[in-house]
Amino acid sequence: MNRKTTLPDPSRFFEIRFESIGGLGAHAAGQILARTAVLHMNLNGAHFSSYGSEKKGSVVRSYIRLGGADKPIRTSAPIDSPDVVVVFHTALLEQPITLAGLKSGSTVICNAAAGELPEGLSRVPAGATIVRVDALKIAVEERSRPNAVLLGTLTAALPFLDADTVLTGLNEGFAHHNSEAVAANERAFARGGKEFEVVDHVGQGSEDLPIMRPQPVWGYQTAPIGGVLPLPGNTVWNDLTTSRTGWLPVFNTEECIHCGLCVLVCPDFCLVWSNEGAGTVPALECPDFSLTWSTEGPGEEAPSARLLGVDYRYCKGCLRCIETCPTEAMTREAETPGLADRLQVPLYPEITKRVGGTRGN
Amino acid sequence: MATNIQAAVQPSATRPRRGATAPQRVDFLSGNEAAAAAARDIGFHLMGYFPITPSTEVAENLAKMQANGDHEIVMVPGDGEHGAAGICYGAAIGGGRVLNATSSQGLLYALEQLPVQAGTRMPMVLNIATRAVSGPLDIRCDHSDVYFALNTGWIILLARDPQAVYDLNFAAVKIGEHADVRLPVLVAYDGFFTSHQKRRLECFDDAETVRREFLGKPDAPYTALDPRHPVTFGPYMNDPDLINNKQQLSLAMEAARQVIPQVLEELHALTGRLYPVMDAYRMDDADVAVVLLNSAAETAKEVADHLRDSGQKVGVLSPNVLRPFPAAAFRDALTSVRAVVIGDRADSYGADGGNLSLEVRAALQQDEHNRTLVLSRVYGLGGRDFDDTDAAQFFEQATQSAKSQQVAVPFAYHGTYAGDPDQKPPSGLPAIETAEVSRGMARVRENPDTGRLEVELEPLWATTTMPGRIAPGHGACPGCGVFPVLHQVYSVLEGDLVVLFQTGCAMVVTTGYPNTAHRITYIHNLFQNGAATLAGLVEMYHELLRRGELPDSPDITFMMVTGDGGMDIGIGPALGAAHRNHNMIILEYDNQGYMNTGAQLSYATPLGHRTSTSEVGRKRAGKVFHHKDTAQIFASCHLPYVFTASEGYPEDLMRKAAKAQWYAKHEGLVYGKVLSFCPLNWRTTDDAAQSVLQTAVDSCFFPVYEVEKGQTMISYDPDLLGRRRKVSDWLALMGKTKHLMSPDNAENLAAVEAEVDRRWRRLKAMHQHPEL
Ligand SMILES: Cc1ncc(C[n+]2csc(CCOP(=O)(O)OP(=O)(O)O)c2C)c(N)n1
Ligand code: SF4
Ligand code: SF4
Ligand code: SF4
Ligand SMILES: [Mg+2]
Repeated sequence: MNRKTTLPDPSRFFEIRFESIGGLGAHAAGQILARTAVLHMNLNGAHFSSYGSEKKGSVVRSYIRLGGADKPIRTSAPIDSPDVVVVFHTALLEQPITLAGLKSGSTVICNAAAGELPEGLSRVPAGATIVRVDALKIAVEERSRPNAVLLGTLTAALPFLDADTVLTGLNEGFAHHNSEAVAANERAFARGGKEFEVVDHVGQGSEDLPIMRPQPVWGYQTAPIGGVLPLPGNTVWNDLTTSRTGWLPVFNTEECIHCGLCVLVCPDFCLVWSNEGAGTVPALECPDFSLTWSTEGPGEEAPSARLLGVDYRYCKGCLRCIETCPTEAMTREAETPGLADRLQVPLYPEITKRVGGTRGN
Repeated sequence: MATNIQAAVQPSATRPRRGATAPQRVDFLSGNEAAAAAARDIGFHLMGYFPITPSTEVAENLAKMQANGDHEIVMVPGDGEHGAAGICYGAAIGGGRVLNATSSQGLLYALEQLPVQAGTRMPMVLNIATRAVSGPLDIRCDHSDVYFALNTGWIILLARDPQAVYDLNFAAVKIGEHADVRLPVLVAYDGFFTSHQKRRLECFDDAETVRREFLGKPDAPYTALDPRHPVTFGPYMNDPDLINNKQQLSLAMEAARQVIPQVLEELHALTGRLYPVMDAYRMDDADVAVVLLNSAAETAKEVADHLRDSGQKVGVLSPNVLRPFPAAAFRDALTSVRAVVIGDRADSYGADGGNLSLEVRAALQQDEHNRTLVLSRVYGLGGRDFDDTDAAQFFEQATQSAKSQQVAVPFAYHGTYAGDPDQKPPSGLPAIETAEVSRGMARVRENPDTGRLEVELEPLWATTTMPGRIAPGHGACPGCGVFPVLHQVYSVLEGDLVVLFQTGCAMVVTTGYPNTAHRITYIHNLFQNGAATLAGLVEMYHELLRRGELPDSPDITFMMVTGDGGMDIGIGPALGAAHRNHNMIILEYDNQGYMNTGAQLSYATPLGHRTSTSEVGRKRAGKVFHHKDTAQIFASCHLPYVFTASEGYPEDLMRKAAKAQWYAKHEGLVYGKVLSFCPLNWRTTDDAAQSVLQTAVDSCFFPVYEVEKGQTMISYDPDLLGRRRKVSDWLALMGKTKHLMSPDNAENLAAVEAEVDRRWRRLKAMHQHPEL
């Protein structure tokens, strides 16, 4: 399917920025949209994503630059004042850079559940349009991914994009997947195009949001020579909350035997222990570990350490602790807003106080 | 020579298509994809490669195409870039067409081979997605890698966008193979800006015809594969001969000066796209100019247009060829330019300008009438963006100089930040006291009867309040197994520890500047050389102790942490350290691939597994050779202690770690290999570690054992315990191996099973016989 498309203002680029977390499919969605524009809409286009070390859970930005067929694209710079920002994960709104450069007249599409529009959106300029869609819910229901839903919403929100054409591109992008997956994507895309809501009066900003460029903390006159970091363990200031994708472990003291197995498998060192309040630990019954576990294990000995809970600032929600726990002391729960805050047991109380909700990575 | 200085006023995306003779189709590709598409269309005979960001995707894309039968290029995964360069050199001596792609450290590691190949006149094509060189390690774009190639005798073409990457790969083949040239050719494009940015471009519709009519057959004057005409390649050549050989090379470069414009003109006729040796944008009556390479030049063109609109006479010069250096073209283009800013994306430290700047200055000096004022600037190092405001500043600086008739600052860094004394990164945690980590979590005793070590572990909960030597807040994927491995090992190691991490996931996710997760002293060196580096430190430690020059004489244990990939590229120095038997531990976390760079195959990846360089498609199903048995390689170094373990058996690993520390302190080098979960690239859920690791051990794919003073002991024998599982039970648990369950791949599966079984039987025999 090919369709000649005219951009709202052919004299300049139309620029879209996806703000996401690795694993949510923002890169793929951006690529599909730009590719479709070039191959099926007779537009010129470019696409690229911010690239870190491609770990799951880190921040990903995906940039789509569209221009008329004859308009050359020479710049390779990131998009700093976009016409549209699509926010794949609401937690990203805590960072000002997520909405940086947003101007009056532009559009924000936000993946959020109904009635749960995050506070961060109040900074949006009053003259911008805010669109909400529960991409996660639709994706789960359709066994698709949030990116297909958000592409559907984006297409519906931009009159110059033809839904059938974008859908063709989406299907091409997943051509190597089975027909079931393609059909699921189609459904997710269609629902994304219908089940969104334009929310009024949320954006209160009186001005365009400033463009932000990351500025280093140290410069050539202040940094220790050679790149040396005399700051042991200062990753504790990072906040990894956004790495979780819907689930978190909930700790139940009553069930815990304080055996310490969860500590051996938690990749993120976020289990908080204290050595007060000794109790009695029954012998371990965990087949996969007991095989070679020494007979002098915890046994009937009284442990002088107790598990207090989880520091959700660092917990990435992998749920390995649950898989390993020999009792029911760790259970998997859907993460609802505020849940982690209520259950939080800080490893470094002073950090929580000083930094609050910002994240450092 | 004034040919080919043409005003390329037409922007890249709409390069003139005057009378293109070859049919083409529009596509949407990144620079790396364009290089791969060109390789497919050129039909190289062989590619030797080793993954490195940001050029890895060239091999990855070709692997994908290969799996589906879209090309027949033989893809040889080198053991490192030095090996890959050797593979390419050897293949080139065979007379066919050869390709490679690399970046940064990869180019530097291969560098030693580059003059060899040029000096012996073996053409091939090497794509460089340019990237900053270490250290500290930075994956983003600058030109510090490709500048190292300036003195190697390779022709260097510069590709400013994905279209140019595609086109210039064709040109590279033809130029290099020209009878008057016979030199290898490097095609350099900007890492990320070009390598990872998708753009509209055109590819040949009928590659076959282009191959036949434009490229022709490779016609090597000498090959190693013609026994009827025996040839000696690479004789031993001292004075007075070598200088003559080099003059030949120099003459070949001179010949290339003639050949390159001819080939580019032919390409122009074919494609309608012109690549003048010097891309002179709006230079006709320019008063001031900037000189930049590749993507930054494109940004500057955009700004030049704006300035021209406001009446300023500015232009942009950016060569498409860097070697041979187009000195005459620069001289001509700058004849009446009053001031020019030359931007280098790499410094030649201490030379008051980067190489481009120095060479343009040298070119101008040949023209006694030239009055152009030159400002040298170093910009954009390590991926620092160069956007329109930067370009505007360059134009402004040149304009100021032109006006004032002087150069206030001849050389400067552009876009750096001095720092604010009041600003600091978040503070670190207090250093761990020796006593806090000397709590006897594992007590090691030598059994006088067996001569072996016995370990008694404290109850597990006792370790939970030990301070972690790695802090939370690192950036690994959810569920990553590397950190449980490190935690388990760290929780039994006593006292002060200094670690060296080789390049890989563990290093990258713990040390993103200005943060570090390491609470103890940590060193990174590139994964081809970590063991040597740590060996040096260990020996320095002992010598300083002996001389009484180390305050407080700390008792330090030294450990290197490496991935399985580090035991491919870095196995040479690791074996060197092993044979010298330094007092140190080498701990390999084996996640069965080069995960940090996006899950390419390592030699530890088993046969048939899907990785991003061993794809599964209609024609191929995963890796084509068996997994490397690194533990046995180290066992045959006759080390005091070698072990394997799994993250899924913490207690076993902790005992072995305690023994490792004892042996490293008392007897010498210890090597341990630990199977480590990687949910992202094994394609499992984040919490599947236990079952996957357990089945890997129970199926005997990954036996856990130790070789203590030469004697092999299996730590856990699934046969004896009645827990033996089939290899397929393990493979069925991971997305990366699901395809092996299909009847189409029965042969592959049988081969893995047979190999696993053979190695297991062999190991059991060693277990039973103390002399084996
Ligand atoms: C000389 C050189 N070549 C290639 C690279 C790119 N590179 C960095 S890490 C890595 C893979 C490391 O694999 P492994 O040791 O198994 O560790 P993992 O990433 O799996 O943790 C590669 C190929 C490099 N940094 N230097
Ligand atoms: S949560 Fe479970 S695994 Fe962790 S200490 Fe308690 S009982 Fe043991
Ligand atoms: S979910 Fe993962 S990161 Fe969170 S506490 Fe459990 S093991 Fe640790
Ligand atoms: S890619 Fe694998 S090894 Fe690397 S951080 Fe992610 S899970 Fe860990
Ligand atoms: Mg690895």
